[in-house]
Amino acid sequence: MINLHINGLRVSVEKGTTILEAAKFLGFPIPTLCHMEGLSPYGACRLCVVEIGEGPRSKLVSSCTYPAEEGLKVRTASSRVVKARKMVLELLLASCPQSKVIQDLASAHQVSRQRFKQEYEDCILCGLCTRMCEEQMMAKAIGFRGRGENRSIGTPFDIKSEVCRLCGGCIYVCPACQLRCTYNQPEKAICGGCANLSPPCVEKEKFDDMMCYMDPCVVCEIKKD
Amino acid sequence: MQSVKSAEEFLDLRKRIITDRDLKIPTIVISAGTCGQASGANDLIRVAKRELLFKSLTERIHLRITGCHGFCEIEPSVLIEPRGTIYPKVGINEMVRIIEGIDQGRVVEDLLYTNPATGQKIEKQADLPFYKRQTRTILSQNEKIDPIRTYNYIENNGYLALVRVLQKSDSKWIIEEIKASGLRGRGGAGFPTGLKWEFLANQCDSGEKYLVCNADEGDPGAYMDRSILEGNPHSVIEGMIIGAYATGATKGIIYVRNEYPLAIKHLVIALRQARELGVLGDNILGSGFSFDIELVRGAGAFVCGEETALIRSIEGKMGEPRQRPPFPVQKGINGNPTAINNVESWANIPVIIRDTARKYSKIGTKGNSGTKIFSLVGKIKNTGLVEVPLGIKISEVIYDIGGGPVGDAKIKAVQTGGPSGGCIPASMFDLSIDYDSLTKAGSIMGSGGMIVMDENTCMVDVAKYFMNFLKDESCGKCFTCRKGTQRMYEILDDITKGNAGMEDLDLLEELASVVKDTTMCGLGHGASNPVLSTLRYFRSEYIRHIVDKRCDAYVCKDLVGAPCQSACPVGTEPWRYIAHLARGEYEEAYRVIRETNPFPSICARVCDHNCENRCKLGTTGSKPVAVRALKRFIADRVDPASYRPVRQPTAENESKKVAVVGSGPAGLTTAHYLSLKGYKVTIFEADKEPGGMLLAGIPEYRLPRNVLRKEIECLLDENINVKCETTLGKDFTADDLFKDGFGAVFLALGAHHSKSMGIEGENADGIYPSINFLREFNFKGQNLAKGHVGIIGGGNSAIDAARVALRQSDVESVTIFYRRSRKEMPAFQMEIDAALEEGVNLQTLVSPTGIISENGRLSKVEFIRNELGKPDASGRRSFREIPGSEFSAPLDTLIVAIGEQMYPYALDGSSGIETVRGGAIAIDENNLSTKREGVFAGGDVVTGPNSVINAIATGKKAAHIIDCYLNERPMIIPAEKRLPEVYVEPVAVSPEDQGSADRIEPPNLPVEERKRTFAEIELCYSVEDARCEARRCLRCDLEFTQPEVEEDDYVKVGENKA
Repeated sequence: MINLHINGLRVSVEKGTTILEAAKFLGFPIPTLCHMEGLSPYGACRLCVVEIGEGPRSKLVSSCTYPAEEGLKVRTASSRVVKARKMVLELLLASCPQSKVIQDLASAHQVSRQRFKQEYEDCILCGLCTRMCEEQMMAKAIGFRGRGENRSIGTPFDIKSEVCRLCGGCIYVCPACQLRCTYNQPEKAICGGCANLSPPCVEKEKFDDMMCYMDPCVVCEIKKD
Repeated sequence: MQSVKSAEEFLDLRKRIITDRDLKIPTIVISAGTCGQASGANDLIRVAKRELLFKSLTERIHLRITGCHGFCEIEPSVLIEPRGTIYPKVGINEMVRIIEGIDQGRVVEDLLYTNPATGQKIEKQADLPFYKRQTRTILSQNEKIDPIRTYNYIENNGYLALVRVLQKSDSKWIIEEIKASGLRGRGGAGFPTGLKWEFLANQCDSGEKYLVCNADEGDPGAYMDRSILEGNPHSVIEGMIIGAYATGATKGIIYVRNEYPLAIKHLVIALRQARELGVLGDNILGSGFSFDIELVRGAGAFVCGEETALIRSIEGKMGEPRQRPPFPVQKGINGNPTAINNVESWANIPVIIRDTARKYSKIGTKGNSGTKIFSLVGKIKNTGLVEVPLGIKISEVIYDIGGGPVGDAKIKAVQTGGPSGGCIPASMFDLSIDYDSLTKAGSIMGSGGMIVMDENTCMVDVAKYFMNFLKDESCGKCFTCRKGTQRMYEILDDITKGNAGMEDLDLLEELASVVKDTTMCGLGHGASNPVLSTLRYFRSEYIRHIVDKRCDAYVCKDLVGAPCQSACPVGTEPWRYIAHLARGEYEEAYRVIRETNPFPSICARVCDHNCENRCKLGTTGSKPVAVRALKRFIADRVDPASYRPVRQPTAENESKKVAVVGSGPAGLTTAHYLSLKGYKVTIFEADKEPGGMLLAGIPEYRLPRNVLRKEIECLLDENINVKCETTLGKDFTADDLFKDGFGAVFLALGAHHSKSMGIEGENADGIYPSINFLREFNFKGQNLAKGHVGIIGGGNSAIDAARVALRQSDVESVTIFYRRSRKEMPAFQMEIDAALEEGVNLQTLVSPTGIISENGRLSKVEFIRNELGKPDASGRRSFREIPGSEFSAPLDTLIVAIGEQMYPYALDGSSGIETVRGGAIAIDENNLSTKREGVFAGGDVVTGPNSVINAIATGKKAAHIIDCYLNERPMIIPAEKRLPEVYVEPVAVSPEDQGSADRIEPPNLPVEERKRTFAEIELCYSVEDARCEARRCLRCDLEFTQPEVEEDDYVKVGENKA
């Protein structure tokens, strides 16, 4: 067992436990976007940062990837952490304001404005979908490509993947797309799991009015054309 | 190649190699790294081979082709051993002469390196200032080794360290040695290498262990690793083998970027040779120890230099980092323990083992031992690779080794550590170069890039450049790095375009600190450094961009527009009138000049032409367009009276009175522009006619009095009343003016009182303040100078006094004494040249210390010599007296020109106006207001002696402010970008008209003719010359003004041509 302090409370956890898991165990809330139980930790969204260490050597680390260490001192909501988290949320709002998940998180952290040039992106590249596809669905149909600004998610060469089983897992886990498919009859909106106005994983142009890349959609079973 | 099976066999082989060689045979060493080849080393190699073969010299002269020697500035260079003679910038013909010289046993003097500081020729490489101050432990091997000849390496102690290790056969000892040496990772982070190895050695031995050489050198402008790999690949290989022996590693990988083809080629050859020799692979030198190295080529992503991304790249995955821990030494390539070191670290290992850790740890400072290679580039004289002990001062690298700035612009900052590094300002050049000091200063050591920047570098633009690089190179995995760099770039871009506000600056800083805090890997962590360090040290430049919309380095295009225009204090559009001139539209050109400047003819003669200093033609290698002389051409051809300024009087303004004290350029300009608005202006002038310093100070040979008077006359109209011989402080006070009903007062009385030197005996006969000397002559025609004349000072006033003195009848000689060197003289270079041409003597680096007079009259002046010290924080070189260098000069007249100020009595009786130290009037620079309401001041009385054009600019500003004040509007001048707006069609130039592209200087009176007269020296251009010169203009304005051409029109032009 490993002993560490989180916000002054002592906690013993098994080797290999992450700070995030330990904090959750104690009931300290840490917001996350790219973390999901059952998927490997990724550390991309930077929302779950916590402060470790003391004095001038203290630093911020992503709690979802950092393993608990003996004697570690963790603060999950120090002013430094809160400042960083708010800026991350502001950046998220600036890029992807239409996501309800992001709106809720921002609201919970009293972030009510963003000062950058407004963008409307469909994807925050959290990587949940690619990990879902690879680790739970064993498909590896989608992945990342490009770097920096041009990083995106898609199938190799944007060709319909042969290994994709249209399971919809990628869409199920996506925190960014909250606009539900209503086909052409809004009142008939179904589960909402099926599709988005703009799914994160695929180029928009490919989907005509329906904008669904599942063809036919596994949930609503409406076939294009 | 002979294969050796044991350490003893190896030592035998080495002995044979050493006894076989003959060190006395002259050897031509050609530096042929990638850089050398690019500058022509391949040609030299061919020529040298041909010459040696043709002349059958192959037995008597040897040839060695090596990697880079480090001094890029002199490439392609040739070194002759064993003498150590170095020839810089060798061409094909020079190569032939050099070989001839070697054959005859002599040095070709005229091809030797010339020291730019002293002008002396230097023969030996070791004596070159660039090499002299370096400690070249690693790099000096490059000259001695042909990278594709293993025997060369063995001859130079190669693989000796390995043999020592194998004979000792104690892996713990190696790690202890490396730890004791204090070597820290040369890749930039500075982690102790020995400690890293110990971690690796302590990992359980179950599976494989990896050693990696990180040769993914991606920083722009850094190429230390390349030069080691190209020049001495075996040293890296030997280092890795030793590392493997110490840590128990089973596999080695050199990760090199594919953009280094020569390095890859030499590495491949070296690896093959090492295997053939028996020092790499199975059972190394019969010791039973096996280790092999594989080469992996990186596809060229900057982030792959980061260790966790590098590991993924080696595994064949997408090169993106992952969060540590686990560290690579716990879980690296394919989950196996991995230690990653930089090329330079590996190259240091054999040196440590061979020379012992004790000896190595003595180089450098405590905690930062050994040498480090820096890649010195940018605005510096001696660019190249510099190897120095850690702990050396930045100033030593930049001024002593680097030779200081290239041109006249002072060095402002140095950027260390590549894109993730920071900028260190010149004021901190005393900082020691080590891992900890650099980090404390907000920068990093990084892999060793050092980019020197001078005043022509805009720090906001630098930050923007690096941010652009980083936003493209960020892998994009973690959100704050991907979005943070993109957003920081957006804000920086807005700032450079003048679209940002001060709140954006706060946002930028806040974002930068969060990005630094929250990103996953080193790239993101360092990504904020360019922004944070420039904000820390150059915040004023950011504010200047945001508030004043100005880029003082003239880099940010959207703020600068046409450099000539934005350089002009009054905003003249030189590009525009030059365009009209080229088209032959002289009246139009005059109108353009006169719209912004009420004194075209005067400025055409005496302006200090900032426009020319900033002309793009001049800053990009040629000579600037002769803007001032072209203005003269226009002003000489068009009658000033032909221009009718736009008058916008209002009934309200016409009832108000404004007093202007002083009728120099500032006062006259204010009066003129106020009169255009309808105000009744009274100018009070102490002298007998208006003109101020134009009349009192500037000699007639530069500014003929008829031109001056005519221009002033044109400005005086019915709204302006001039009262001459009325002196402030004597005849009236500011209080009187308000009593007389003036609504506002503008003080522009100039600086007509010379400062004193503060030396005893200064009041003797024959010693005159320069301004008094000039006034006596200009107003009364008095010749005060007699016999041998000395001038103290280096400004324009000193030069004017010298040239006027030279023209006086009883003068035998004129000498200017200046305390610094000629380069530091504030006077216009052109004026200094002209004075020297006319026969004025110049003594620099001397300061006066005493006056010796006989019967109350000056007979001698005592001086002491100075020497220049290091540049101070402002980049100007300080001076100090050399004790014992005193001397005296017999002089009959001494003119003191060390600066002027306002008459001390000027403010007597005027209450409420405050002065600052030095006697200038204190004002609020934004609105020229003094401490007393309604009283404004500007011109020399505030700034001290300054240029005419600055006085005119102040005058225009004053007119605007006073207008605002009298109409009770807020007294502000909104900052605006000054971009070209009017399109003037470029003149078509036929090939016959093109002529030479060189700058045409206006004709001057011959020296002999002008020496004794006051006739104007500079003459006007001929029509052909003027138009030819005008056509040289690059028309920077067109980028902003040219109407967009429809795509169809392009087709038409093409068709017409066809």
